Amino acid sequence: MSGPVDTRPPAPMVVERRFAWERFLLGTHSTFVYLFLYLPIVILVVFSFNESKQTAVWEGFTLEWYRHLMHNDLILRSVKNSLIVASITTVVATIIGTMVALALGRYEFRGKASVASVLYLPIIIPEIVIGAALVTFFGVVQLRLSLWTVVVAHVAFSISYVAIVVRARLAGFDRSLEEAALDLGAGPWATLWRVTLPLIGPGILAGALLVFTISIDDYVVTSFVAGVGATTLPLQIYSMLKVGVTPEVNAVSTLLILVTVVLIVLAQRLQQDPNQPGGGQ
Amino acid sequence: MKKLLRPSVVTFAFLVPLSLALAACQKAAEAPAPQAAVAPAPAAAPAEPAAPAALEKTGKLNIFIWSAYLPKEVIDEFTAKTGIKVSFDLYDSNEALLEKLQSGVADYDIVVPSDYMVKILASQKLIQSIDHARLPNFSNLDPRFLNKKFDPNNEHSLPYFWGTTGFGYNKSKIKEPVDSWQVMFDPKHKGRILMLDDMRENFAVALKSMGKSLNDTDPADLKAASELLKKQKKLVKTYNSGDFANILASGDVDFAHGYNGQIAEVVRNSKGKLAYVVPKEGATFWMDNMAIPVKARNLEAAYEFLNFIMQPEVNAEIVNGVSYASANTPAKKFINPEILNDAAIYPGDDVIARCEFLEDIGDTTTVLDQYWTEIKAQ
Repeated sequence: MSGPVDTRPPAPMVVERRFAWERFLLGTHSTFVYLFLYLPIVILVVFSFNESKQTAVWEGFTLEWYRHLMHNDLILRSVKNSLIVASITTVVATIIGTMVALALGRYEFRGKASVASVLYLPIIIPEIVIGAALVTFFGVVQLRLSLWTVVVAHVAFSISYVAIVVRARLAGFDRSLEEAALDLGAGPWATLWRVTLPLIGPGILAGALLVFTISIDDYVVTSFVAGVGATTLPLQIYSMLKVGVTPEVNAVSTLLILVTVVLIVLAQRLQQDPNQPGGGQ
Repeated sequence: MKKLLRPSVVTFAFLVPLSLALAACQKAAEAPAPQAAVAPAPAAAPAEPAAPAALEKTGKLNIFIWSAYLPKEVIDEFTAKTGIKVSFDLYDSNEALLEKLQSGVADYDIVVPSDYMVKILASQKLIQSIDHARLPNFSNLDPRFLNKKFDPNNEHSLPYFWGTTGFGYNKSKIKEPVDSWQVMFDPKHKGRILMLDDMRENFAVALKSMGKSLNDTDPADLKAASELLKKQKKLVKTYNSGDFANILASGDVDFAHGYNGQIAEVVRNSKGKLAYVVPKEGATFWMDNMAIPVKARNLEAAYEFLNFIMQPEVNAEIVNGVSYASANTPAKKFINPEILNDAAIYPGDDVIARCEFLEDIGDTTTVLDQYWTEIKAQ
């Protein structure tokens, strides 16, 4: 597994004698890259504690906006809607997507090539086309727009992401491990649960996280298919643009960033375990 | 076309069963409700597709509306008084509203389109005729805002809020008197100007500064207007439709083209530093209106609600809560003097007289589109 790393020649000594200005350049470059990536987020977080209602003038520290937020039913409702949609989408799309990946990864069937290429379409097609197509479809089957149509739409375009990520993981999968399990008396289910899934687990988890983040901040498709009572956080924020963004939006974004960071850290922790090549416990 | 159809294969393979199941669930859930409401008869035959849902007295009212257009207290009062629960969703553009109603499966009972969108929705038969006889409070509406070109005799809509698109400026930095669009084209203010990121509004500024109608379709005028805007672009710091008032308030620009509502708010909080102007050449006048979609399911509640918000006290409470001007005459008695006397919110008749609605200009839109792309791309 770690073959390629071992065969590499030891790092040349040149590295040690690198000129100071080279280090300096690299350091500066990285600093700027990270600033570029994270400064806007830092500013957003800082301004969520700003006393002024105007988003761009600093007037002093306050927790007022967080207090406001707790009483803003509309924003809270939209956060709740977004979390519901993202959670259900993640679970459903991850299951279906994994199944698709497994089917494509190990079986030969008619039309496999076209299914595999069609898999990329939801990612390639502009979101606005997906949104328009879905809403037409819902009109044809007379499905009233609601929070559930948002879930259906999100699941529809999320499956591909999971399937592609899991398929990539399956590409380096050693099937002899499964054969060994079957050979040693494990049934197909036991093999799936105790050998296959743990091995492709990190891929599934990565797919699930990807889907969660895509779902929670999707605006275009959601704006097409949302119905009564289905205003999600992105829809809420966009609609607030008409009257100006208040620091409450900064506050809610800060909380969301916090949740996302926690989730990512958690996911990375979880990912480390199944990576240990330990065979069957 | 082919590209459009292909995704159906995979997406729909998953979608169809899921959606059909959902649709079935919905029907099952819906069926018993109207039955129980209409007749206490022995529940035998499965209900017809919920015939005229209009006769439901209570139930739920679904409103689709702009953000910050309806204070929560008013909704709570309505529910307390009538027993009708209100659910409301928000949209950010008239086009989003149009798309939603076109889907044919959106269950909204009240929507709030702007002037030109009322015309489009009515012509596409997406909003229904309003029965004025069922609205005793209709007489409270200010005749100045009735019977407009976009909806003759208010057959399809009732004026809710109105306002203007002018500009805000920083009085503490600009000493000379400002009353004309010309300042927005003055090289002296290079880099200190913000314009809305909106094609029609930009052409409105250029055409008005030339002394023309903002619905002008004369090719020569439009060409001249686009030249003006092209030249102006070098002076413009940014085109922004969302945050213009805050950018003005933060001091990043001295002039900000924008809607009166948001600018009025930062003007009020600026301790006299900022001001809002409707230039003497004239500007855009806008109106947002209440309407009932053709597919409304709770017509009774919709009328009840429209009557409710046209009561003077309730209407004043709305205005006091959101700081937009309403078109309700007797409500003025109950509106905070601070809002009523704010010329940015309630301008005088002279200001209204020099403003114009943006109208649908048909094929000329394509011409403007082309010019606008050139301006933005240069």
